[in-house]
Amino acid sequence: MSDAVDVDQHAAAIAAGDSGAFARALAVIEPSVRASLRSYASKVDVEAVVQEALLRLWQAAPRFVPDGRPNGLARFATRIAHNLAIDELRRRRELPSEDAALDEASTRTMAAESTVLAAPDPMLRARIVYCYEQLPPKNALAMHARIEARGGEPDTAVAEQLGMRLNTFLQNVTRARKLLERCLEEQGVALGTEAP
Amino acid sequence: MTTPEHQAELVEQVVSAYRPRDPRGQLLPSAAFHDLDEAGRVAAYEEARRARAIEAALDPEGLSSTARAVLNRILRASGG
Repeated sequence: MSDAVDVDQHAAAIAAGDSGAFARALAVIEPSVRASLRSYASKVDVEAVVQEALLRLWQAAPRFVPDGRPNGLARFATRIAHNLAIDELRRRRELPSEDAALDEASTRTMAAESTVLAAPDPMLRARIVYCYEQLPPKNALAMHARIEARGGEPDTAVAEQLGMRLNTFLQNVTRARKLLERCLEEQGVALGTEAP
Repeated sequence: MTTPEHQAELVEQVVSAYRPRDPRGQLLPSAAFHDLDEAGRVAAYEEARRARAIEAALDPEGLSSTARAVLNRILRASGG
């Protein structure tokens, strides 16, 4: 079971420039922001939007004013992310530049959004670690290297470090995740099925 | 004509948390994202959600590759 959390407990420290506090908040905010962007997934690269939104959250944190409800930081980040996604669609002329109705709909969605966020589930974590340890060596190696790159290196560089061709590396990572998910399913766990 | 294997490789590239930047430091979409059709993009999104959950579970601080990439950028900017 996961416990409900309020990331606003970190707001003052984040505003003061404490990156450790921001890291603790990110562990909870990032999945929530990503889940909220599902409706844009066919049009916008959600990964780029999530990262840019979280960077802007850090920059704007000193100006954050709590509204009295829990997890205001998460709602703030989600609003930034939705605005970035809408801006990207407008930039590509896939939305009218003056679509006030869309802005209003986005604002209503943010206001109505559930503010209940869950802390990472230690039992789920233990099961993922167990399944990860069951992976065949080549698949585990590729997945480990992808994780260790921490989003800072392209797959071409990671594959080269492993002495793998890019397509072999990609297939190994995909295979690793599929095997891990199958292992979890055998334990009654389905990843990524939580509601946005 | 995209083969299923090529489609799967494009999806996996989009799942990565690495994103290039333009000369001003602005994050750019994955090049592979533009080569996917809408169904492929949604598949990449769903795979990324699962991948981030796995990464966070395997990280001592519970952080995904996305969170790590953001933190690294913040720390570099502050000289940390």
